[in-house]
Amino acid sequence: MNRLSYAQVIGGLDAEQLAVLPRLKIAILRNVVVEPIVPYLRRLAQGIGFNAEARFGGYDNVYQEAVGGEAGLLNPETDCALVFLRLETLSWDLSRNFASLKPAEIEAEVERVKEFIVAAQAGIRRQTQAMILWCGFELPVYPALGIAERQRDNGQTAVIEELNRFLRAILGRQGNAYFVDLNLCLARIGARNFYDQRYWHIAKAPYSREALREVADEVFKYIRAMKGHSKKCLTLDCDNVLWGGTIGEDGLSGIKLGKTHPGSAYYEFQQEVLNLRHRGVILALCSKNNEEDVWEVFRDHPDMVLRREHIAAARINWRDKADNLREIAAELNLGLDSLVFVDDSDFEVNLIRSLAPEVEVIELPKDGAIAYREALAACGYFDTLTITREDAERGVMYQAEAFRKQMQRQYQDLESYYASLEMALEIRLADEFSIPRISQLTQKTNQFNLTTRRYSDADIERLAEGEDTEVVYLRLRDRFGDSGIVGVCVLRYESERAVFDNFLLSCRVLGRGVEDAFLTQCLKRAVLRQCEAAIGEYYPTAKNNQVKDFYLRHGFELVAEGDGLRRFKLGLTTFARSEPPYFQRIDSELGTFCNRVRYRKGS
Amino acid sequence: MREKVFQIVSQVMMVPVEQINEQSAAQNIEAWDSLNHMNLILALEEEFGARFSDEQIMRMLDIKTIIAEVTEMASYAGNAG
Repeated sequence: MNRLSYAQVIGGLDAEQLAVLPRLKIAILRNVVVEPIVPYLRRLAQGIGFNAEARFGGYDNVYQEAVGGEAGLLNPETDCALVFLRLETLSWDLSRNFASLKPAEIEAEVERVKEFIVAAQAGIRRQTQAMILWCGFELPVYPALGIAERQRDNGQTAVIEELNRFLRAILGRQGNAYFVDLNLCLARIGARNFYDQRYWHIAKAPYSREALREVADEVFKYIRAMKGHSKKCLTLDCDNVLWGGTIGEDGLSGIKLGKTHPGSAYYEFQQEVLNLRHRGVILALCSKNNEEDVWEVFRDHPDMVLRREHIAAARINWRDKADNLREIAAELNLGLDSLVFVDDSDFEVNLIRSLAPEVEVIELPKDGAIAYREALAACGYFDTLTITREDAERGVMYQAEAFRKQMQRQYQDLESYYASLEMALEIRLADEFSIPRISQLTQKTNQFNLTTRRYSDADIERLAEGEDTEVVYLRLRDRFGDSGIVGVCVLRYESERAVFDNFLLSCRVLGRGVEDAFLTQCLKRAVLRQCEAAIGEYYPTAKNNQVKDFYLRHGFELVAEGDGLRRFKLGLTTFARSEPPYFQRIDSELGTFCNRVRYRKGS
Repeated sequence: MREKVFQIVSQVMMVPVEQINEQSAAQNIEAWDSLNHMNLILALEEEFGARFSDEQIMRMLDIKTIIAEVTEMASYAGNAG
């Protein structure tokens, strides 16, 4: 990522711009001095449109603040609680006096540290529902027992690893709490750069600037994902990115790509790209070339890792790349700000930065292709808090989408095309298996999202369990495959009215009449619950203009408007509507009440 | 180099550069606390490509000493900064 000096990082913070941005409140609990991390966090936050405000707990007051909460450091407005609990301060025995300890003493001290972790963690959660990011303990670079250490399972390293395992388990059980692995940061830059012994002794500040920059980058991967700013699509140039040389000039046998140097650098880069696809990232090409030359490489080069079917969209032509990126985004139903662009040409990179600044750019290192793989692996733009089944299958789903588009051209009218897809809908109330994907959809969906209310797993669980709320999901299959859970409706029942708190569909399934069937089903649910009217809500954002008239188009009337929120009403006393005829099957459990008790925690 | 030091002190301590002079020191600049001292030393190291020892750091609490230490460091490096 950016390697600006500390002064440049501070200088890059634009006070005027920051003042108008929404706040991101970070509370830092620590037993060491880490204050210089703040400019890095603020700079990263500014990059995704937030004004980060960091507040520190007193030095070595983790327990007091977590349990006592007197200082008001943690409160319901906190967005993120960041914990730096360093073993050197927490347990001198385990960190620096380990060699002298007898097994029973080790055990007793480990127990004490575990109790501390449990109490502090529970104390934080009592005061705030915010995301907890807890930095795990660093492993010693020179372990207490030297080379004998790794031959036994009660050496210092093993004991600290056990503490980290324990911490991960505690955080995992808590929910919305994550383990940040400082050992990754340490390994990336090396211990000699990670620690600054001068400030450890002078000011109890163990970490160098470089270390704090690395830690801030790591911490921000979590925050970016929480705030719904994970990127969705990687758009790649071809010549000198996927292979060395120019296909148009060097030809199929002349380009560099293979298992040995120099082609191996490109081979490894392609593998890293493919790994992202397995995590749910969509791949696209944007290249100035003759299209047929590029596809020939994909088809005929023996060492291509990427195949044509991995590519969801391509613009291979001689036109302006900014326009091409806009077209790719439109074709994939994504916002430009979901795209990441990779190109070896400074000209193209600068063009995108000025004409399509929403697009994130990965700058390829000047070391050349040998450094490409790591640059991609390090960027963190695509990191998500969880990887769902839908993520793992996404690439295949986009491929199916391409087949659908091909088929669409064969049909004269839309309805017979829809019928040919053999679509089957499954509509159910949220259960423990669907909750992670449902909350993920509320966090990631921007365009077909009527109110853009974002919910965590815990929120959805609460809504699903509530007496007067219901969470409905939609799953779609067709002859090309299973799209998984692609629609969510949150219903709130208040005095014989069903309020559509949210209604959203994944951009992948738009344009197939699915929304009509889903809405009709949800309305039928409201009728079954003896509601006299349905209230649809629309809250405009920068991205959901396309659904501004969704409720009007479906027979609702505008009844109220204010504070940006528009409310629409549809009477249900004479409701007689049915789903469009072209679905092969609609398997719905909304028609019966017994399903209401279906949601059981931990069943 | 003297001006560069003034500029860095001004930036780190959030004091207008006109108010920085040879007499400026931790004692007469309010923002010059232990945290900002750390920030200042790191900014100087970054700017001059230097690295100060813990003992130097504890001495560099006024502009005169800072300039002296930076000058000495630069002459070792055979580079006037």
